[in-house]
Amino acid sequence: MNTTILSARSLSKRYGDGIALNNVDLDIAAGESVAIMGASGSGKTTLLHTLAGITSPDAGSVNYAGTEVSALNETQRSKLRREAFGFVFQAGLLIPELTAIENVALALMLNGVPRRDAEAQSAGWLAHLGLAGMEARRIGELSGGQAQRVAIVRAQVTGARIVFADEPTGALDSHTSANVMSALLAATAGRGNTLVLVTHDPTVAARCSRTLYMHDGVISLAPAAHPDATPPPVAHPVSTQDGSTFMQNQNWAGQP
Amino acid sequence: MKSTFSILWLTSRPSSGSKAVIALPAVAFALVTALLLIVLAGGLSFFTNPAQDDEFGTAGAYQMLAALAVSLMVLPILTLGGSAARLSARRRDERLSTLRLLGATAALVSVMTIVESTVIACVGVLAGVVLYVAALPAIALIPFQGQALGLDKLWLPANVLVIAAAALILLAAVSAAVGLRQVVLSPLGVRTRQTAPTVHWLRLALGGVAAVGLYAVMSTAMSSPSLAIVVVMVCGGFAGGLAVLNLMGPFVLKWLAGIGLRRAQTPVKLLAARTVLESPKAAWRQVSSLSMTSFIAVIAGTGLALISAAGESSNPAEMYLTGDMRTGVLITVVASFLLVAASAGVNQAAAVLDRRELYVSLDRLGMPRSVMDAARKRAVMSPVRLVTVGSAALAVILLFPLTGAALFFAPLSLVVIAGVLACGIGLVRLGLAASTPVLGKVLAQ
Repeated sequence: MNTTILSARSLSKRYGDGIALNNVDLDIAAGESVAIMGASGSGKTTLLHTLAGITSPDAGSVNYAGTEVSALNETQRSKLRREAFGFVFQAGLLIPELTAIENVALALMLNGVPRRDAEAQSAGWLAHLGLAGMEARRIGELSGGQAQRVAIVRAQVTGARIVFADEPTGALDSHTSANVMSALLAATAGRGNTLVLVTHDPTVAARCSRTLYMHDGVISLAPAAHPDATPPPVAHPVSTQDGSTFMQNQNWAGQP
Repeated sequence: MKSTFSILWLTSRPSSGSKAVIALPAVAFALVTALLLIVLAGGLSFFTNPAQDDEFGTAGAYQMLAALAVSLMVLPILTLGGSAARLSARRRDERLSTLRLLGATAALVSVMTIVESTVIACVGVLAGVVLYVAALPAIALIPFQGQALGLDKLWLPANVLVIAAAALILLAAVSAAVGLRQVVLSPLGVRTRQTAPTVHWLRLALGGVAAVGLYAVMSTAMSSPSLAIVVVMVCGGFAGGLAVLNLMGPFVLKWLAGIGLRRAQTPVKLLAARTVLESPKAAWRQVSSLSMTSFIAVIAGTGLALISAAGESSNPAEMYLTGDMRTGVLITVVASFLLVAASAGVNQAAAVLDRRELYVSLDRLGMPRSVMDAARKRAVMSPVRLVTVGSAALAVILLFPLTGAALFFAPLSLVVIAGVLACGIGLVRLGLAASTPVLGKVLAQ
């Protein structure tokens, strides 16, 4: 049994009259890949943001590897996000002026890594995610799937122990979505790190090791009776296995 | 036509997120209008009943100098007006290019762009007229020929007011149409910003040739015994110098940002260099009015130095003329600074709002706000430093016979120029600082 790396206790968050989180308790083990599903407005993105220290809860606490995240000030939380967490957003949200390699290297440079080393490490990561030869391309010159893989590299290049992904495949077609998901799992759970992702897509959730369902700010283990939260198919149940296979296929086990 | 206005209403009605999209260009237009009207009023005040006021027979000299000052100011004011219109159009380009992708015709997108920008410009122009009226009592106190200018001389005739307002609104419509040409031609180009920017080296070559030619003409003409020819040549040199600067500026910025990019060892330097390289022309436009300020500062410093070197005259007409030239120069330079500060503040606030989503994502990734703020400020201040020094140097060269004389007879001119340029840079910094709370507000949402 892996040790708990991230835990939440009695998390509550309201936006006006709406309840986003209602007394949520959650433990996530190191190396897990956890999918959070639920209807729009069910509180899943708020949960992701609260776990990542982006949003402060109204009540309750979040603990990351012994650090009380909810007790940190904005600067300390920013530092924690920069050094220990990685993020992948739906639209990638890479910096359009920078090239692929600069977008990745920037994450390392923010942690004080010299540019030459940062770009060398970034180049290795990009190559292993099938982006060799595209290092100097601007983000606008990449396809959606390629840009999302750059975002995955950016999220993991710093050695983040947890990657938070908010609808990482939401803007992609099914084939590209499957490839990006393989890359994401390989780069995170496949290397012993943790992935927490929000998704509406049951096939994406099915590839994670655990799926949680949010309904009116409460976590449940079974989906609510809502079209957005249909149960995942069981055809591809094991995420880390997928990740390992992807890594072997890409011949990059243990890299970088 | 009915459907055009239905879509226009759907995409234009203010929402909480789009207020700034409308407010920023409107504020920019208000400032442009107020400055233009004040400059025109000041200039035309010397043409009001000149015979009646011409106690010392110097009305002609005053009129010539007033015309010179107005010509120095009108171009940068209109340039800022063009920037405001482009700002108005650019801030809509994403939405409009999406409409284009959805099948809206090029004509519909063009009409929407022009109508939106024109309506916003109209609101700004009206606010600018109010600002102009509000500023008049203070401006009326400025002394010329030993007495305050007076309110009665500063009221612009109704026809001048209407023509100036109409010209600004027309400028808005034309600039918006030109600014969005790219959306009409290639919706994907703007939607994904995938087209790599290009600035041709020929700009540098052509600019260099033009600068040499300009210098040769100026050197010959400056030795003319006729004051009128010298004044015409100063005006011509000014316009020509500015054209050379605008031709060479984007390429030089691109070249230097490329060097900065290769040497960048920190996130701030990397981001700033890439921001300039993303669009050297846009980076230049943002600071080009400072090239004007810098140019004016050198001319002003030279003029003041030569006046000081000539010594105090016992003739009251000459005494007034000397003092009033000093006042006029000061007003011209201060107005230039105000233009630059307004331009920097508005453009930067708009840039932060344009990139709201990206800044929020960078904040979530853990990028310190200080890094984001420092990077966007550096992206402006690096070109500012280059433009300030480069434009001043170019002005010194083009006016060399005069600047050389000023340096010899009154070294104080150097102090004046340095002080004026330092003030200019300081004002740009203030303009940028004014946009910092916008970043804080975006990240707090």
